Amino acid sequence: MTSLTDRYVWAAARTLPEAQRTEFGRELRERIGDATDALVETGSSPDEAERAALTELGDPAALAAQYTDRPLQLIGPKYYLTWLRLLKLLLVIVIPCAVLGVAIAQAVTGGSIADMFAGAIGLSISVGVHVAFWTTLVFAILERTPASAGPRGVDVAWSLDMLPAVPEPGKASRLADLIASVVFLAVFAVALVVQQFGVPWVSDLQGIPILSPELWSFWLPYFLVLIGIEILFAVAIFAWGWNWWLAGANLLLNIAFTVPALWLFLTGQLISPAALEAMKWPWGAAGPVIVGIVVVVVVAATTWDVIDGAVKAYRAGRAASAARQRAAATSGATA
Amino acid sequence: MNFDETTAAHLQELRRGTVVLACLVRLRTPDYGYALLESLNSLGILVDANTLYPLLRRLEKQGLLTSEWNTAEARPRKFYRTSPTGELLADALMTDWRRIDDALAGLTTGDE
Repeated sequence: MTSLTDRYVWAAARTLPEAQRTEFGRELRERIGDATDALVETGSSPDEAERAALTELGDPAALAAQYTDRPLQLIGPKYYLTWLRLLKLLLVIVIPCAVLGVAIAQAVTGGSIADMFAGAIGLSISVGVHVAFWTTLVFAILERTPASAGPRGVDVAWSLDMLPAVPEPGKASRLADLIASVVFLAVFAVALVVQQFGVPWVSDLQGIPILSPELWSFWLPYFLVLIGIEILFAVAIFAWGWNWWLAGANLLLNIAFTVPALWLFLTGQLISPAALEAMKWPWGAAGPVIVGIVVVVVVAATTWDVIDGAVKAYRAGRAASAARQRAAATSGATA
Repeated sequence: MNFDETTAAHLQELRRGTVVLACLVRLRTPDYGYALLESLNSLGILVDANTLYPLLRRLEKQGLLTSEWNTAEARPRKFYRTSPTGELLADALMTDWRRIDDALAGLTTGDE
């Protein structure tokens, strides 16, 4: 018959490396025996005393870990910060790449916007879980690998050079602008492609291209390239802030977009005949008014964008020269 | 965390190093785990079995204690003894302990 002590010792020792088990078992038996004897002396029966002594010892796995200094945490303080930094970095890089990939794939294969969002959300979750799991696994193994002398590859000594720069005022709001621009431009580009397959939620326009399919020979690729340049432009604004060169580029980009678009619209080449027919165009006397409103809105939006860029470039220039004057005043005062 | 818990946590922290010192000094005469536990607690050096047994193992691994199994009695017992390295550490710890005691004494009288 195996006693409770035998079972306890076995349960505790099995989590240890083979070589340590015998010695550990002997030590543990001594401790249990002495604790039991002490309880028997106070008047307990031997069985009760054994049970009480073992209960006092608690979970055998925890006890064994305490004896051998094994970590009882997945990732300890030694690697926690490295793990956290790496995980954040990987998630920030990998998830957007994966989402962009799936969005492009859906657009190319002609999936609907809903498919694209569902695909992107599903993929972000599964990619996020994979990245988190495998990174954590590597660090958990590292935590349990006996350290040889000296620092390991992952032990990055912290230095002053790693201090983050205090964010430039305005850079945070420029980041919001960048995200908004890129999202808008990406949606616009996808819409330009997807319109080829009609508007699924308007029954009259299902399967009917909105823009003339002939435009694919030149103008639609032209607009798509222009959207790509606009995205680069948004990145440039984020990186450098507004200046007169970028305001000029903004003017050129707006002209390059609006002039051909309006010309195509006014000469009737923009909207496909099938779509016009489905929409029962022209709408009687309202036709010219609608065309006029569209032109005014487009021109106003473009003008506003150009002026906005110029105003921002002017303000940035003034702030920069004020900062230069302040710097000159301070260095003059210290000199 | 209430006041009692905070006090208990700080007391534990304060005593942690003193248990090592007490073991090293006490084990100049060899003894086994349970007897050491009893004698330290009866001297007023309060230590828990869950702390003491793993501590003995660790000190032995660090070469501060040596051990020998005594199989003369019905229950085999591991007798620990302070090693020469352990003696050196005990001296260093004791010196520092006295220095801290003096410093704290100076601090308290300086307050008055």
